[in-house]
Amino acid sequence: MERRQRRAAWALTLPAVVLMGVILLLPVTVAAVLSFTDFSLGNDSFNWVGFKNYDRLFTRSTYAKMFVATFTYVVTVVPISVGLGLGAALLIQSLGRFRELYKTIYFLPVMATLLAMSIAWEFMLHPSIGMINRTLELGCGTVLEQVWPFMANGCAKTFPVWLGDKRYAIWVICFIGIWQGFGFNMVLYLAGLTGVHRELYHAAEMDGAKSGWERFRLVTWPALGPTTVFVVTISCIRAFQVFDTVEAFWPQGGGPNKSTYVMMFAIFEKGVQQNLIGAGASITVMFLVFVMILTLIQRWLVERKVHYG
Amino acid sequence: MKTTVSAMVLSAIATVAAAEDKVTIEFAYPYSHLFDVTYEAMMPAFKEAHPNIEVKFRSTYESYEDGTNTILREAVSGNLPDVTMQGLNRQQILVEKGIAQSLAPFIAKEADFATEGYHDAMLSLSTFGGDVHGLPFSVSLPVGYYNMDVLRAGGIEELPTTWDEVIAACETMKANGVQNPIFWGWNITGNWFMQALMWSQDQAIVENAAVTLDSPEALNALNQMQEIFTKCEMQNLEWKAALASFSAGDIGMMFWSTSALGAVERSQGEFELVTGPFPGMGEKPKGLPAGGNAAMLTSTSDDPRVQEAAWTWLKFITSGEGAAEVAKTTGYMPPNKAANEVILADFYDQNPNKQTAVDQLPLLRDWLAYPGDNGLAITQVIYDGIERIVTGDATDMQELQEELVEEVNDLLPNS
Repeated sequence: MERRQRRAAWALTLPAVVLMGVILLLPVTVAAVLSFTDFSLGNDSFNWVGFKNYDRLFTRSTYAKMFVATFTYVVTVVPISVGLGLGAALLIQSLGRFRELYKTIYFLPVMATLLAMSIAWEFMLHPSIGMINRTLELGCGTVLEQVWPFMANGCAKTFPVWLGDKRYAIWVICFIGIWQGFGFNMVLYLAGLTGVHRELYHAAEMDGAKSGWERFRLVTWPALGPTTVFVVTISCIRAFQVFDTVEAFWPQGGGPNKSTYVMMFAIFEKGVQQNLIGAGASITVMFLVFVMILTLIQRWLVERKVHYG
Repeated sequence: MKTTVSAMVLSAIATVAAAEDKVTIEFAYPYSHLFDVTYEAMMPAFKEAHPNIEVKFRSTYESYEDGTNTILREAVSGNLPDVTMQGLNRQQILVEKGIAQSLAPFIAKEADFATEGYHDAMLSLSTFGGDVHGLPFSVSLPVGYYNMDVLRAGGIEELPTTWDEVIAACETMKANGVQNPIFWGWNITGNWFMQALMWSQDQAIVENAAVTLDSPEALNALNQMQEIFTKCEMQNLEWKAALASFSAGDIGMMFWSTSALGAVERSQGEFELVTGPFPGMGEKPKGLPAGGNAAMLTSTSDDPRVQEAAWTWLKFITSGEGAAEVAKTTGYMPPNKAANEVILADFYDQNPNKQTAVDQLPLLRDWLAYPGDNGLAITQVIYDGIERIVTGDATDMQELQEELVEEVNDLLPNS
């Protein structure tokens, strides 16, 4: 009887197990194996190169730039987009009217295709005929010029080549990432906020938490714990995956001096554009390791009971 | 009644037969901003001449590098187009890998191939191992584009002929308030201008399967670039943004391929545009790399009719009226004598800007392919290196040269 049940259980999970094996575990294994070879697409054979691909990952300056760009992006975009998402959610929550309108406005960039949006940004960021520098030029000759060195500099010479200057390129990408991503976090937080019991606020008020900040610190923030863990994890993974903007702005090279050479783009460049499958696979494995670490941290936090519900 | 039925049956059979006769070939080309108009202009004549061949256009390649890479991938996944347009320096790898077919059997069947304007000098650009593997479709050379309005406002009357004169012009223009005197197209396909400066000194970038980036000429080239970029304070524009800026009249001098002339003229603002020969390093260039692309047959079809149709299309676009459209709609030169001398006889007189590249034809040299499988990656190394000069990240050219040599050597076969 028990054996039959067990067999039935296996039979029922079999489709899911097979699918997981075929579309998840198998490709990851293949990538891991390929990362130890010098396979090039279209060649019949390949050589085992041991850890050479990984060795290059940690010794070549190009890859150093890749890690710098990726981590700069993640470290900038995650906190700001989570913070803005929470802020926007709280503000919208407190609104009586126009709530839906604001929700839609903030959520629009999330729905829009980032690749298409990148093209619009590319036009706006054009150094001489773009909207952004044209708008900045309007500030010339006003007080702004005296109080803001950037403005004075821009007026005296030219305003920045946003996409061609290594000092600005990564921040432009970060800005677009935040603009595009925080609406998603906002929606997650709005959902989280509906789960906070009203009674908790009343109780806190009776216990002497008078100001809004106190109520936020003592009730809202702890109650949003599970949401925050989820939002931060998903934002991190999304930030590691940034690709569209880099590919749209700099299809060749990954930005001025590789300052925006993020991991996804590196995988694409090595594995797809240049047919260096081995090198591409080794970056992919690194990428998977990072995502895995993040997921483990999330599990750990969840198990440490950030749940209060 | 009976007759109507049989008439209907007959016409049905006829349509079936016609549909069966129709052969579809697939075709892909790079640089839609340059060539869309060209193929649009060609299609009506082709459809009229060959009503039973349908050409299906695949999505365009972003660049030559993208084109080669797409074909290499498609060869693995087994969905190659029948005809593809490939950059002149990307043909070799496709021939080596057996993806592009030899055209010799088709040429052998043509009775009057030479009289259709295909001549040896041009065919040599696509000849590998003694066999013609491609028909050159468009050939370009680097030229100077000058916005005469900006130049005059900056106090420059005469076109520069050497880079020193270009730099001097930059400085005069800067002093006269021109903010954006120059765009030097280092980023065109990542390696073409490097080869242009190397050929200017009569040095090939690839010799005996070795890349000559360690030569003194390569160092001269890097130094020359650094001088241009820093003394002219050139902005690091993405090339599409640069073309837009130049067309809008913001840039005084732009050094780029003659190929973009058609596109620039179409989007040009109100200013006088003049092209001039590519300046040299101290003297007139001794050679310049041929840019452009060639049509290659990559059909995997067993059907001789598809092969035949692909050959017909290939021949149509590279000869006669088809080839003439290349010159009319872009800044490229059709590498076809008949098209150049007969159909385009007075075309260049009316379009002196397009004449510049034709005048430089004696300087035409091969756009060399990098040896081995990693040609695309080597191109990227050169691109990244030059970009470091543009952004000011690399200041010591000797050091940069050493780094480039080391990185390129990693990518060469037998490294």
